[in-house]
Parts: sequence; structure tokens; C-alpha cells
Amino acid sequence: MLDLERQDEEPLLAPIMHSGRGFWLLAACAGLLGFAGLAAWLVQLRRGLSVTGLNVPVYWGLYITHFVFFIGISHAGTLVSAILRLSNAEWRRPITRAAEVITVLVLFFGMGCILLDLGRPDRALFVLRHANLRSPLLWDVISVTTYLAASTIYLYLPLIPDVALLRDRLPRRRWLYRPLAVGWTGTPRQRRILHRAISVMAVLVIPIAVSVHTVVSWVFAMTVQPMWHSTIFGPYFVVGAIFSGIAAIILAMAIVRRAYRLEEYLKPIHFNNLGLLLLVMALLWFYFTFAEFLTTYYGAEPSHMAVFLSKTEGRFAGEFWTMIVACFVVPVALLARRRTRSTVWGTVVAALSVEIGMWLERFLIVVPSLSVPRLPMEAAPYAPSWVEWSLFTAFLAVFILLYAVFTKLFPIVSIWEVREGRERSVADVARRVKSYLPGRETVP
Amino acid sequence: MLSRRRFLGFTAGAAAGAALGGVAGAGLRTLFASAESPIVPPRGPERVVLSVCDLCPGGCGVRVRVIGDRAVRLEGNPLHPVSGGRLCPRGQAALQALYHPDRAEGPLRRRGPRGDLSSFERATWDEALGEIGARLAEIRAGGRPEAVVLVTGGGGAGLGPRVARRFLSAYGSPNDVALHRGDDAAAIALLLAQGVRAAPALDLQSADYVLSLGSALLEAWSAPVHATRAYGEFRRGRTGRRGKLVHVEPRLSITAASADEWIAVRPGTEGVFALGVAAAIVGEGLHAKPFVAERVAGLEEDRDAAGRTRPGLRSVLARRYRLEQVEAETGVPGDVILRVAREFASAGASLAIGPRKGPLLPGRLFDHLAAGVLNALVGAVDAPGGVLVADDPPLPPWPALPGGVSAAGRARPKLDGAGPDQPLLASDPERLAEAIRAGTPYRAEALLLVDADPAFASAAPETFAAAVQKVPLVVSFTAIPDDTALLADWILPASHFLERADLHTTPAGVPYPLVSLARPALLRPVRDARPTAEVFLELARRIAPDLAAALPWKDLDALLRWEMEGLHAARRGAVMGTAFDEAFVRMMEGAGWWAPGYRTPAELWTRAHESGGWWDPFYDHGDWRRVLRTASGKVELRGDLLDLAPAAPERDGALALLLFEPLPIAGGTGAELPFLQAILDPGHEAHWETWAEIHPETAARLGVSDRDWIRVESPRSSIVARARLTARVVPDAVAVPVGLGKRGGGRWASGIGANPLRLLAPARDPLCGLPDFGATRVRVARARPPDGSA
Amino acid sequence: MARWGMVIDLDRCTGCQACVVACQVENNVPPAGSRDAARGRAISWLRLVPLDGGREGHGTRPALRLVPLPCQHCDLPPCTRVCPVFATQKDEEGFVAQVYPRCIGCRYCTTACPYTVREFNWRRPEWPAPMERSLSPDVSVRPRGVVEKCTFCHHRLQLARDQARVEGRQLREQDYVPACVQTCPADAMAFGDLDDPRTTVARLARSPRAFRLLEDLGTEPKVIYLSKGEWGA
Ligand SMILES: Nc1nc2c(c(=O)[nH]1)N[C@H]1C(S)=C(S)[C@@H](COP(=O)(O)OP(=O)(O)OC[C@H]3O[C@@H](n4cnc5c(=O)[nH]c(N)nc54)[C@H](O)[C@@H]3O)O[C@H]1N2
Ligand SMILES: Nc1nc2c(c(=O)[nH]1)N[C@H]1C(S)=C(S)[C@@H](COP(=O)(O)OP(=O)(O)OC[C@H]3O[C@@H](n4cnc5c(=O)[nH]c(N)nc54)[C@H](O)[C@@H]3O)O[C@H]1N2
Ligand code: SF4
Ligand code: SF4
Ligand code: SF4
Ligand code: SF4
Ligand code: SF4
Repeated sequence: MLDLERQDEEPLLAPIMHSGRGFWLLAACAGLLGFAGLAAWLVQLRRGLSVTGLNVPVYWGLYITHFVFFIGISHAGTLVSAILRLSNAEWRRPITRAAEVITVLVLFFGMGCILLDLGRPDRALFVLRHANLRSPLLWDVISVTTYLAASTIYLYLPLIPDVALLRDRLPRRRWLYRPLAVGWTGTPRQRRILHRAISVMAVLVIPIAVSVHTVVSWVFAMTVQPMWHSTIFGPYFVVGAIFSGIAAIILAMAIVRRAYRLEEYLKPIHFNNLGLLLLVMALLWFYFTFAEFLTTYYGAEPSHMAVFLSKTEGRFAGEFWTMIVACFVVPVALLARRRTRSTVWGTVVAALSVEIGMWLERFLIVVPSLSVPRLPMEAAPYAPSWVEWSLFTAFLAVFILLYAVFTKLFPIVSIWEVREGRERSVADVARRVKSYLPGRETVP
Repeated sequence: MLSRRRFLGFTAGAAAGAALGGVAGAGLRTLFASAESPIVPPRGPERVVLSVCDLCPGGCGVRVRVIGDRAVRLEGNPLHPVSGGRLCPRGQAALQALYHPDRAEGPLRRRGPRGDLSSFERATWDEALGEIGARLAEIRAGGRPEAVVLVTGGGGAGLGPRVARRFLSAYGSPNDVALHRGDDAAAIALLLAQGVRAAPALDLQSADYVLSLGSALLEAWSAPVHATRAYGEFRRGRTGRRGKLVHVEPRLSITAASADEWIAVRPGTEGVFALGVAAAIVGEGLHAKPFVAERVAGLEEDRDAAGRTRPGLRSVLARRYRLEQVEAETGVPGDVILRVAREFASAGASLAIGPRKGPLLPGRLFDHLAAGVLNALVGAVDAPGGVLVADDPPLPPWPALPGGVSAAGRARPKLDGAGPDQPLLASDPERLAEAIRAGTPYRAEALLLVDADPAFASAAPETFAAAVQKVPLVVSFTAIPDDTALLADWILPASHFLERADLHTTPAGVPYPLVSLARPALLRPVRDARPTAEVFLELARRIAPDLAAALPWKDLDALLRWEMEGLHAARRGAVMGTAFDEAFVRMMEGAGWWAPGYRTPAELWTRAHESGGWWDPFYDHGDWRRVLRTASGKVELRGDLLDLAPAAPERDGALALLLFEPLPIAGGTGAELPFLQAILDPGHEAHWETWAEIHPETAARLGVSDRDWIRVESPRSSIVARARLTARVVPDAVAVPVGLGKRGGGRWASGIGANPLRLLAPARDPLCGLPDFGATRVRVARARPPDGSA
Repeated sequence: MARWGMVIDLDRCTGCQACVVACQVENNVPPAGSRDAARGRAISWLRLVPLDGGREGHGTRPALRLVPLPCQHCDLPPCTRVCPVFATQKDEEGFVAQVYPRCIGCRYCTTACPYTVREFNWRRPEWPAPMERSLSPDVSVRPRGVVEKCTFCHHRLQLARDQARVEGRQLREQDYVPACVQTCPADAMAFGDLDDPRTTVARLARSPRAFRLLEDLGTEPKVIYLSKGEWGA
């Protein structure tokens, strides 16, 4: 019994107990890239947005692309984990935390992108002081902040029992774990409250998450600009967000599994199941994209067609068709077949392809509509500058670094939930499955 | 319970946090303090000064808003008959010229190699005038005053060039050479047809139908604001009467874009088209028969003074300009030619305009003569809506020129051979350049350049650049050192028009005599610059007493008073005024009265300065003795010359080079100002480079795509330009703007674009000897980008 | 209350661009260099846009139509709705105003404007000495990082109102004329109160030649164009 209780702790606490050369190397590299980004940002603060590749009429570029991209990825964690929790998907247990961390961290970067994009970041707080509630940008501010708060709580709650464990096992870091553990001892009452709180949060977080990406899409859809002003943009963005979010979970899991040798916990079946979800999202994404483009094509409004054609056969055709391949052809080819889906590399390649494709999708939503204004104007094509790119790599690097640091402070696989699964769920599931079957209930 | 230690720790943490936040906040604030431009607002009393724009020969009257020692705004003077309160983009940008950072600080003397601004060093005006004056005195004392050459450019009609030219004559040199002006060919056509040496003035606002034969009527016209105002009236100023504009040119110019109809002809066939129209009019007998019978000579066969028979234009038209022939040569369908002929002959007041394409591009005499034929056929000569001839303002004559060495020098042959060798030309600058280079018939020892940049803006820039280097003393009067100034020995900074008093006479193309007055808007010049006129007055005093006696004025003000007193003595005209005043003066003068609104010269001086100047708005139509000064006293149709249509180019695979002058940089100036560089071609955002318009079919044949860099190569030279594929130009031609490609001109002009004038073949207009700006054929191929461009 | 608007007669306009430069000079727009221009960063509150005029050839209309394009001061402006901080707003007299010290530079309004007439200060505006001496004291110089656009020369209304008040009289039609309108050599532009039937703009706006740009978007522009052509006022 004792062994069974302790069996998960060794491997899952190992990353917290000692850090290898790999971690420090990663930290150094990521830190370096982060500082490069900081330098780029200082340059931008000093010289204004002239250091970007933006122009008239392409007023928005990579920063807004990355805002949408990061907020999209943030749907990974919280939303997916909440859905899995509520639907009692037992296979979720080892993966929820890895997913939820992504959400919380990446939201900061999404908001950071907006800050980068402002001509006057020193006036950022004007959005609170002089808030115009009619502006979709303000809706964003509200829903993203709410989402961040909810996601943080939602990450924190299931962390409590594991923090308590760490408090007891690691006296040197009691200063950190003790306050966070809020006196958790694992009494049945505490457990009951915790379960209840997690369930409530899971229910709450789903509409918030859906609202976030809907509102992000409305930033575009509420204007009259060609190929932005679309009623399906809300659901389209939500689908895209979940799509890229799941891909992000797969990638994070694969890395954690490899780095911390957690093959026992993050098994091919997890990748297979997430792969199935990814496949469903790929089909959904394609459905929305198809619907969006087909209606534009049949409506054939000249200003809309100008944008349409710039994507399908014009200046952005390369990006557009790469996106179709990366978001649809590659994932469907890999994930529709069990042979490739049930392997880790199969889903990882599909997820990587989806991330690239979804980045392109975000870019193709932001830039082409601005590049072909209704009234003709001769303008230089938008080419992002080194500042924009280095801020992107810095964001990625610092995100990875923070994620790694999280794994050094907290178990990236929820110990107590896995244990709970071992202890109770097998029996629970057996009962549940039996209850679906014909025949009488067996009274225990 | 909060322990003391924890409380202290908490406080310290909070304090540290606050400090950190404070530092970050302060950092951000410093960073964003740099977002604001540190601008010191002008201080001091505010006043309005009347002046005259001289950024082009238009001479628009302007009002300047001055606060303290700064001029902060320029607008048109509403009482001024040329500007009427309006300004063109150049006039609007004039303050950028006044406060241009690259204006010469003061007189500059060359110490190092030619062609480089860093070779020059500051000198005082006293040094400059002392040295130049001594050298000029020496040449004159040596009995070679003819060795001093003055080249004037196409700038404003102010006192600077006038005083400089008088100075040269009094000094004793015949070598007063004006660079070609856009109005030259039209003026020669008028001389041949009407015996008057003047640029034609068009009564556009009274016309009903205008046939523009490749003219730049709505671009860099002689007085652009005046012409554009007239165009507005022509279109919609008269209730129920809208003028129609038909434009004939191989390129869809800005004028063509404003027209009701653009007729694309093959390059160089505008005149042939016009004569095709004339042939149809004469053939169908649609011409104004009474007018032609009474006032036109040369339509029918006749005898000249010597008794020889001259072929009539009618027979030339019937033989040489038959419909099929013209159709084949111009590429315009015969029914279009017929339709235009009928429209032209039947519209109320029709007017044909010759192909003056800008201050540097006069067009071919043949085409101007052809336009003149059309006007003569419909009676658009000195009639409302037709071609008018302006009277000169009655300014007093200047003191007589000295005799002695001065008279002897003036009697020497001109270096440019104009006059004896080229009877129709007053100046031949390209020939001058050759003569200076060759040192024949005599050596040029000093070259004075006033508003002239022939090493950039002439038909032979390279020849001029070489010629300038042969002259031991070259003095350039210019504000922002231009290409020729960089080759000079002295750069004498000319004042900006807002820094001096001035007097401008009637600009070309304006039909009434006028004298515009300017007061200095700034009491101290922005740079150590002087009015060119005053510099010449001073030089005259320094060189010799007889020279000083011919230019006896202490300064500009004294000269202005002399002029205005003479004007007062002429007893006609009025000070500029409102439309009501104008109508009143017209009515009175029409009835034979003089109602000037001033009595004494002092009153004229004050009132003219308050309104912007003096003018005589009364135009006496049909004063035939004034406007028809040919031997016959009639409009001469020159069938003999019109028989000689320019030959069609050989089909050698080369392209015709079509040059045009965008208004902002017309006349070879304007590229210095960033606001003008930004608007070279309306509707296009990307500027600051020389582009070449090519028809897509031609481009496809040459393997050139839109925005490719291409090399445009003529037998003489080559330039690199950005290809723009457009159906705005006919196939087998390439159209390139003139005005970019300067070496000098300051930070915004230097090294921007390329100068297509360098490509020009040394061809001459066979009928008059002007350079033929339309004869050059070029080859086009893809090229590498020029240095320093993306 | 007046509803200020502009009429641009394309039959008079020659595309000379005097209006473009007048606007830049009047409103202290900084000069751009070749680099700025090549990167689409040159600021101009008024541009000439080439509209497709159909096919070309003999006996047809020229294919190039140049349309001066200031801010249309839409009565239903898509730009003001999206501004998160009320830095751009339509005031009671219909001006779509821009508040520089409030603007956070998010450029949402610029992307929302279907006429693409909003400009952004990509860098700090600069005037190489002594060019700053030509700046007008009537218009503030914008800092880096904020959006700007045509104001209908609103400062001229304020100055004209002050002047009228000093002289103890009503504002007259000719008192308030924007810089572009004032300079137009072809007299192609008119400006005034669209709601006062006696004004020139109101009369011209009733012309059968009158049309507005992108009218189907429902932005209700207050810049009215008169097309080229024979008939009508
Ligand atoms: N888009 C459009 N189409 C229309 C109309 C419209 O309002 N808009 N209106 C319709 C109406 S009501 C009509 S009546 C028709 C008119 O249509 P058409 O009969 O085609 O009329 P037009 O174009 O005026 O002239 C026809 C041709 O006759 C030539 N012509 C002129 N005078 C003579 C002559 O003396 N002899 C000969 N042989 N030819 C001559 C002209 O140069 C022209 O090429 O168009 C109809 N079509
Ligand atoms: N300059 C010039 N003048 C011309 C001609 C030309 O070619 N050039 N052509 C001449 C010729 S051939 C003709 S036929 C005439 C045509 O001259 P008009 O008869 O004046 O013809 P339209 O200009 O077509 O205008 C007819 C009017 O009827 C209105 N209308 C349209 N449908 C209906 C309807 O169902 N019921 C009613 N009640 N009204 C309707 C239209 O809106 C318009 O106001 O013009 C002649 N005048
Ligand atoms: S037309 Fe000539 S004189 Fe008049 S404002 Fe323009 S540049 Fe000055
Ligand atoms: S100033 Fe007048 S004529 Fe010139 S482009 Fe502007 S509107 Fe047209
Ligand atoms: S034109 Fe554009 S900027 Fe001007 S009011 Fe309309 S939407 Fe706003
Ligand atoms: S850029 Fe300025 S004016 Fe435009 S939406 Fe943002 S805050 Fe408002
Ligand atoms: S109204 Fe004023 S601000 Fe607007 S375009 Fe005209 S000059 Fe510029």
C-alpha cells in the first residue's frame, strides 16, 4: 500500500529535486534570447514603431498576429482540461496540468503583444481610465483579464495537494510551498471542497474561454473591412484557438516526456487521444475556412475579392497554400490513420505542422485585409523587421523558460490526481461501464 | 498577528517595490519625453506682407503671415490677378525653400576640386565682391568685355535677371544667353504667324472647345495658377456653358486625364493630327470664311513681295494631309479626326494649343504652327476664347548704355551665334557650351550664372558641365547649391523671394500688362544671402563709373521707385483690386476713360504695395495693328514650312523617348523640397525615384515587369529608372519625367533619381534651331538597381 | 448647429495637388525623406487616389480619374466606434476629431476606416534646422506614436469664431475656409454648412452630379464629389 502511494512520487518529483545541465543550458539560451528581445524593445521604445515593418495601410502586423496566435494557444490548457474533467475522461489525469500551465503563461505574452503594438505604451492604462465600452478592444481587455484570473485559479486549485506534498518533502523551500499549500492535509472535508471548487471552476472557465477568442475575433469582425467583417469569425476563431491549443499541448507533453523520462505517464495512448481531438479540430477548422472563402467567392464583392485573390493567387498565395497543407492536409493524413496517430512522433509532427499553419492563418487574417485597401493606394508590401522577429523569438524563449521553471517548482504531472486515478478510478470506471451494460446492477 | 519583523520586512519590500516602480516609471517617462518634438513657438508681433512667388515664372501674388522674425504661412493674394488668392503646390511649399537646411550659409569660394560641396569655404560678401569685381574690371580694362558670359535660367520674372542682363550690356558683352524656355517654340510660331515676338496668351476661360496638342496646359504651364484658374472657369464657371477639352498626345498626361477625351497619337505626330483636322475643316468648308478672307494670308496660292508664287496651305493640306494619310501616320481612326474637325469648327469659341510641355520642353515648332493654323481657320486670333497677345507694361526706359569699351564689346559676335546663324533664336545655349569648350571664336573668361543650372537643366547637361570647367571664373547665383554651382568658383547665395523687395512684370501667357510688387517679409535673411539685383548694382559700382551710371540705383528700393514713377507717368491701368474694381476699370477704359484710383507717384507706391501691384485689365480685342505685325498685316499660314512634316522614325526596334515635366519639379527646380518630391505623380505613393512608363505590350516584348529597374539607353548616354507598366503610354515609347537626378540641390534632391536630359540626341528642330526634345530614340533593358536604392 | 462639409468638383479638379501641400503646410505635417516614402511612412492628410475610369482608346474617356481624398468626416464614422479610449470622436458639429494627448496609438481606428485616410506617427516628427521656424502656431505638433488625420482645419473655425466675436458679428460663410479649399487654383473645392440651404456647398450637394465615396458602406460621408460630365448644375 505504501509503495503504491509512493510509486509516483519518485519519477514525478525528480525534476524538482535536481536539475541537470540541460536545464541550465536551456535557461541560458532562453535568457539570452529574452535579453535580445528586451534590447529590441528598448530600441522600439526609443525610436517608435518606425523600427517595425509596418506602414500605411498595413497598420497591424506581427504583433497583432502574435496576439491572436498566443491567445489562441491559451485555449489549450484550461478549456481542454475543463472539458475533459467535466466529461470524466479518465485519460486526462497526467496531462491536465501540463496543459493548464500553457494557458496561464501564454496569456501574459498575448497581452504583452498588445503592449508592444501600442504607439504609446506609457498610456496603456488609459484603457481603464477612459474606457470606451463600445470598443471591441475593450471587450478584449475585460475578457482576457477575466480569463487570466480564472485560469490562474483553475491551475492553482488542483495544485494544492501536490504543493502540500512538496511542503512536507522539501523543507528548504517551505517559504514557497507553505503559504501556497494553505494548510492542506488531505482531510476528507478538504478533498470534498477541493473537488467541488475544481468542478465549479471547470464549468465557469469554459464560457469565459469561448468568449475570449470570440471577442478577439470581433476586434476584426466589428469593422467593415473586407474578409474581416464576417459573422462566423467568432466560432471560427474559437475553433482555430482550440486547434492550435491542442497542438501546443501535444508539443509540450512530448518535450516534457522526453526531458523528464515520463514515458510511463505520458503514454502513446495520450497522444493518440489528443491526436483524435486534433483530427476533429482539423476537420472543423477546414469546414469553417471553406465556408468563409466560399461565401466570399460567391458574394464576389470587389473589395472582398481583392483580398480573397491576394490570398489565393496573389501576394499571399505562398503563405495561404502552405497554411492549407499545414493545417489540413498534413494533420489529416497523419491523424486519420491509426498507424501514425498512435505513435508519439506521428502526433508530434502533426501538431508541429498545425502550429506553423495556425501561425500563418493568423498572419493571413491580419495582414492581407489591410494590404488591399478599398480605395487604391500604392504601398510598400509589409515585411516584418528584425525588431518584430526578435521580440517574437524572445517571447517564445521566455515562455519556454518559464514553463521549464514551473516544472522545476511544481510537478508537471499531477501526482495526486494520478494517484487518485490509480486508487479509485479503475473501480469507478468498471462500475460505470457496467452500469451501461444490460443486466441488473450488482449491489456491492 | 503581524510580527514586528514581518511588518518591517513587508514595509521594506513595499518601499523597494515602489522605488523600482518609480525608476521604471521615470525611465518610461524619459523615453516618451523623446516622443515630443521640442518646438519653440514663434514670438512677436504678427503682420501680413505682400510678396510675389518666384518659384516658377508664374509670379503669383502672395500674402505672407509673419510672426516676429518668422514667416509661418503663405497664401495667395486674393487681389492679385495671376494668383487670385490661390497657389500651386510649389508656392505652398515655398517656406521649405526659405528655411531649407542646405541653403548656402553665405558666399562660398572654391578651394578644392570642382564638383564637390566640401571644396567650398565661407567668405564674406566683401571678399567675394572685391575679388569678382576686380577680375571683371581687369577683363574690361584689357578690352575684352565680350569674354564675360551671362547665362540666365527660366526662373521668375523679377528684377534679378533683368538687372543682371542690363549689367552685362553696360559692361560691354553681347553674350547674354538665356537658357531655353518652354514658351520659346510657341513664341516663334507667333512671330512667324503674327509678327509678334511674345508668348501667346490664351483666353481659356472664354473658350468652349479646347484642342490640346500635347500641351501641359494643366501642369507646368507658363503661369500654372493662372491657367488652372482659367480652366476651372472654362469648365464650370459659366452657367449652362461647359467647355470641352480634347487632348492629343501619346501619353495620358495629367492634362489628358482631366480632358473629356484623350486621343492617343503615335509619338511626334500631334502636328500631323492637327493638320489632318485642318484639312478636314478646309475640305468641308467649315472654316470661318469671313475671318479667313479678311485676316489670314497663305491659305490660297499667292505671290509674295518679290512676286514669286507661294503654294497655298490649302493645296499642302489636300496633298500632304489627306485623311487616310493622317490616319496612317498618327494611328488615329479617320472618323475620330473628322469628328474632332467638325466639333472644333462648330463649337462656339474653339482654341488649339501647341505642345508646350513645361518650362524646359518647348515642343516642336511644326506642331505649334499646326495649332496656329487651326486657330486661324476658326478665327481664334485675338478673339474672346482665342489666342491673345499681351501688351508690355509701360515701365520707364533705363539709363542709356555706355559707349567706348562697352559699345565695342557689345558689337562683337555672340558666342552662341544666335541672330546671324539662327535668325529665329535669341539665344542658343547649347551652341554657347560648344563654343566655350572649343574656345572659338574667342575665349570665355568669366561665366555668370543667374538662376541657371545648365549642367543639369538644359538640352546638353554634359557639354555644359565640360564647358564650365574651361572658364577661369565661374560665379553661380543660387540659393541651394545646384549642379552647376558645384562646378563654379564662387557660389553667391541668392536671397529667397521672401527676403527681398522685388518687381515682377507680366508672366508669359497672361494677356494683360501687370507689375507685381513684393515687400521683404523677413527683415533679416535666414542665411547671409543677398538679392541678385543688388549684387549686380554693387558690382557695377565697383567696376567702373560708366557702368555705375548705367545702373544708378543705390539699392532695390531706389530702383523700384524709379520704375513706379515711370509707371505713374504712363497714365493708364490701375492698382490691383477686387473683381468689382476690375470690372469698373474695364468699363471705364472701354469707354475711353482712365480711372486709376491714385494721383501721385507716392499714392501709386503706397496703394500698389497694399494691393500687390499695378495692372491694366482692359483688353482691346481686334487691335489688329498691335497683334498682326507681319508684312501682310494678316495671320500668315506657312504652307511652305508645314509641308515639311517631321519624318516618321525608322522601325529600328528602338523606343521613342517621351519627356514630361511634373509640375512639382518642373523647370529643373523643386526636387529640393521634400513636400514636392512626395507628390511627383498624383495617385502614386512611391516617389523619390525616376520612373519610366512603358506600355505592357512593349514591356512584355522586352521582358520587363512592373517595378523592375531598367536601363534607358540613347546613343549619347544612359540612365537607370524604375519601370512602370501602364497603358497610359502608347506602345513603342517610354515616358520619363524630367527634374530628378541632381548632384547638388541639398539632401532631398542630391542623388535621387536620374536626369533623362542627358539622353538627348544633339538634334535640332529643323524649322527653328531649338533643340529637338522629341527626337531621341532609346533602347530599354533590365538593369541592376542604381546604387543606394532597394 | 452647423453640419460642416466639403464639395469637390472633379470636373474642375486638375490633380495639381496644391491642396495636398497646403494641408501639410497648414497643419505642421513633418517632411518625409525618401526612406520614409519608400516604406509607406510619409504622412499626408490629403491624397489623390486614382480611381479606375474604365477603358481607354479613341473617343473614350481617359482611364485615369484622380480624386482628392481627405477624411470624409463620416456622420456614422466606423473609426470612432472602435477607439478604446475616446481619443477620436465625432463632435456636435460633425467634425471627427482626434485627441493627440489621449491616443494610445493602437491604430484600431486606422484599420477600421474604410477610406484609409488616417496617418500614424511612426517616429518623432522632425524638422532639420532651421525648418522648424516655418511651423504654424495654430496647430499643435503631434508626438511620436499617435494617430492623426484631416481635421477640416478645425483650428480655422476657432480662429474665425474668435474674430467674429471680437467684431461682434455672426460667423459668415467666407470666414471659415480650410487651407486646401483656399488654395485650390481650379476652385474645385467648396466648404460650408451642408444644412444651410443658402450655402455654396448645400447648393452643389444638390447637383445631380453629386455622389459620395463608398456610399454603400453607410458611413454617411460629409465630403461630396461632383462627377465630370455634361449635364447638371
Ligand atoms: N447607353 C444608352 N444607350 C442608348 C440610349 C441611352 O440613353 N443610353 N438611348 C437610346 C436612344 S433613345 C436612341 S435614339 C439611340 C440612338 O443611337 P444611335 O442611332 O446609334 O445614335 P448616335 O450615337 O447619336 O448616332 C449614330 C451615328 O450616326 C452618325 N451620324 C451623325 N450624323 C450623321 C449623318 O448625317 N449621316 C450619317 N450617315 N451618319 C451620321 C454619328 O456620328 C454616329 O456615329 O440610342 C439608344 N441607346
Ligand atoms: N445632347 C444630346 N441630347 C439629346 C440626344 C443626344 O444624343 N445628345 N438624344 C436625343 C434623343 S434621340 C432622345 S430619345 C432624347 C431622350 O431624352 P429624354 O426623353 O429626356 O430621355 P432620358 O434622358 O432617358 O430621360 C427620361 C426620364 O424618364 C425617367 N424615367 C425612366 N423610366 C421611367 C418610367 O417608367 N416612367 C416615367 N414617368 N419616367 C421614367 C428617367 O428617370 C428620366 O428622368 O434626348 C435627345 N437629346
Ligand atoms: S504658379 Fe509659380 S509663381 Fe504661382 S505659386 Fe506656383 S510656383 Fe509660385
Ligand atoms: S488643389 Fe484643387 S485642382 Fe488641385 S488637386 Fe486639389 S482639388 Fe484638384
Ligand atoms: S473617413 Fe475614415 S477617419 Fe474619416 S470619419 Fe470616416 S471612417 Fe473616420
Ligand atoms: S490609435 Fe488612438 S485614436 Fe486610434 S483607436 Fe487607438 S487610441 Fe483611438
Ligand atoms: S480640410 Fe484642412 S486638414 Fe482637411 S485636408 Fe483640407 S487642409 Fe487638410
